[in-house]
Amino acid sequence: MPEQQVVQELGEWQTKLAQSLQSLQAAAGVSFGCSEKTAVYREGKLTLYRYQALAPSANLPPVLIVYALVNRPYMMDLQPDRSLIRRLLELGLDVYLIDWGYPDGADRYVDLNDYINGYLHRCLDVVLREHQLPATTLLGVCQGGTFSLCYAALHPERVRNLITMVTPVDFQTPDNLLSKWVQSIDIDALVTAHGVVPGAVLNAAYVSLMPFRLLQQKYVNLLDSGDNQAQMDNFMRMEKWIFDSPDQAGEAFRQFARWCFQENRLMKGTLEIGGQAIDLKRITQPILNIYGKQDHLVPPSASTAMENLVGSSDYMALGMDVGHIGMYVSGRSQRELPQAIAYWLQRR
Amino acid sequence: MGPEVSGSDWFNADWSSAMQKAQSELLRQWTDLGTVWSKTMAATGATSGAMGGVAGSASGAGTTGSFSPSGGARAGDDVARNFLRQCEQYLGVSRSLWDLVGRAAGTADPEQRARLFTEGLGTLQQQFAGLWAATPFGASGAGAANPFAMGNALGALGGLGPMGSMGPMSGMGPFGGMGSMAGMAGMPGMAGLGGMGPGGGAFSLPALGPTRESQESLQRLSQLAMRCWQAQMQVGGQWNDIIGKALRELGERLGPRLKSGTPPASMKEVYDLWVDSAESVYAQSARGAAFLQAQAELTNSLSQLRTAQRELMEEWGKQFDLPTRAEINSIHQQLRELKAALQR
Repeated sequence: MPEQQVVQELGEWQTKLAQSLQSLQAAAGVSFGCSEKTAVYREGKLTLYRYQALAPSANLPPVLIVYALVNRPYMMDLQPDRSLIRRLLELGLDVYLIDWGYPDGADRYVDLNDYINGYLHRCLDVVLREHQLPATTLLGVCQGGTFSLCYAALHPERVRNLITMVTPVDFQTPDNLLSKWVQSIDIDALVTAHGVVPGAVLNAAYVSLMPFRLLQQKYVNLLDSGDNQAQMDNFMRMEKWIFDSPDQAGEAFRQFARWCFQENRLMKGTLEIGGQAIDLKRITQPILNIYGKQDHLVPPSASTAMENLVGSSDYMALGMDVGHIGMYVSGRSQRELPQAIAYWLQRR
Repeated sequence: MGPEVSGSDWFNADWSSAMQKAQSELLRQWTDLGTVWSKTMAATGATSGAMGGVAGSASGAGTTGSFSPSGGARAGDDVARNFLRQCEQYLGVSRSLWDLVGRAAGTADPEQRARLFTEGLGTLQQQFAGLWAATPFGASGAGAANPFAMGNALGALGGLGPMGSMGPMSGMGPFGGMGSMAGMAGMPGMAGLGGMGPGGGAFSLPALGPTRESQESLQRLSQLAMRCWQAQMQVGGQWNDIIGKALRELGERLGPRLKSGTPPASMKEVYDLWVDSAESVYAQSARGAAFLQAQAELTNSLSQLRTAQRELMEEWGKQFDLPTRAEINSIHQQLRELKAALQR
């Protein structure tokens, strides 16, 4: 590489840096969550939202989205051109979402039974009562998908269809680096030390999966978007979401980390919630299991293991060529996923 | 009954000299005890040195034998000598304090009295700092800043029973705890790691006296802090290894291209190649047993250290009847049980 070329490249980088700094400043106040919604139920830190219809009803059962505890749900409604929820609304679906909120020290003893047989159960009560239905569609995302599976196994009569997205079932597949790390962690000591496990601890774990890309290269590549305000705005929304991680209720975290990651009870069929065994064979409803082929957080093998555990004869797996986050924000997902979901629901 | 004395007379002479006499007497008694101990260890060391303190007890040296750290007579001798040196220093500083109190009290003008006392205290602080800076059990290379030695020193001194809670030094418990906490810089006396080796030193001495509970918690805090430090070194070593391998990987990827005359077209391309190399190496190393063990040990030791620090804070808070984490947790539990009962 000639010296002159290096100097020229450095000069270009300087220019890009200056542009990027300007764009970043302008992007500082970006908003997120673009679809209108109404709070229809509150309990503790939790809020159940119903989204405003954007199209004539498709006459399908309402969809209750059960998001994970470890991230904020506005990822599914990030901006008008990157909103899975908006696409579903445009297809005439009636969409509800459970926002778990931000747990604090008063929530340290909230456990998985509280989340699954308590909060989730009562949110579903609200939806079923509103629509005068005995059962409806659950759409579980990541850890929320695991919760949805457990709920469907415990209360199958209340779940008409089950959609799981990037949902782990087998927590100890060989390609699951996060799981390997968790094996030797003293979960009791961690929970005792913090009470409510800080979201920052989880963030550190996630970025540590690919530290060079996520802590360095991502920001270096940002310089190439310096002259594109829209791209900079998108980046800032993603950046906000990535690091806006709620603290985790201590007992729920302890149980999930130990029972799922360390003991893999769901796979082994030994998981109990609230003293009741989780038998996935009791799930005989239609299941659509969507996973990301490039997902490094929930590898495909962690999700596709579901097929052999459930009792449904109407199980369908849909592998998208995207990563964990790309499932919600990539152009491909925006084009293909909502239609796939609506099409699948229309035939059940 | 003696003659009535005024406030300043009371402060003068009688009271402060009485305190000094009491401390001197106590020092003499401990000196005698330490001398007996040292002689006993020397007598038993030739036949049972390898068994250290256990042999000391078995030889009939009684309770003094059980005080000796494992490592035999020589270690016990060093312990005694250093302990006596610490006591003499403590006595010297204490005498200076009482002298100061007496002089200040004898000054009629309040402003001058306050100034005299404050300036004198400033001088004394240097002596205090020197006292804490002394390595309690003679570690070589003392003087290297180590926040954990403070707790070690306190564990050692605290193990000496009443000495640990005498007079103006009774506040040394919290100081040691603070000095042992990671991140609390600026505390004096961050000396070398006395007694950390197989000799055991302070960590193997049992806590004695009325303050034994806080002594034990300080000892534990120091041990945990050391464990964290060691774990950080382990993780750092793993990262050094990863970076080294990543650089080699980069070289292996770049080499053929340079040889074939198709070098990277830009520095950005070189950087991207570096990231690919680093992630490739990291993906392998991060699954290795050494990395997993180091990372887990760091996480676990930090968790335990955090808990120990909080427990120490809670002890302080209890002195002022402040709400503590344990108390609030108890309330949360009760609320949870009430809620469950209501829902039933």
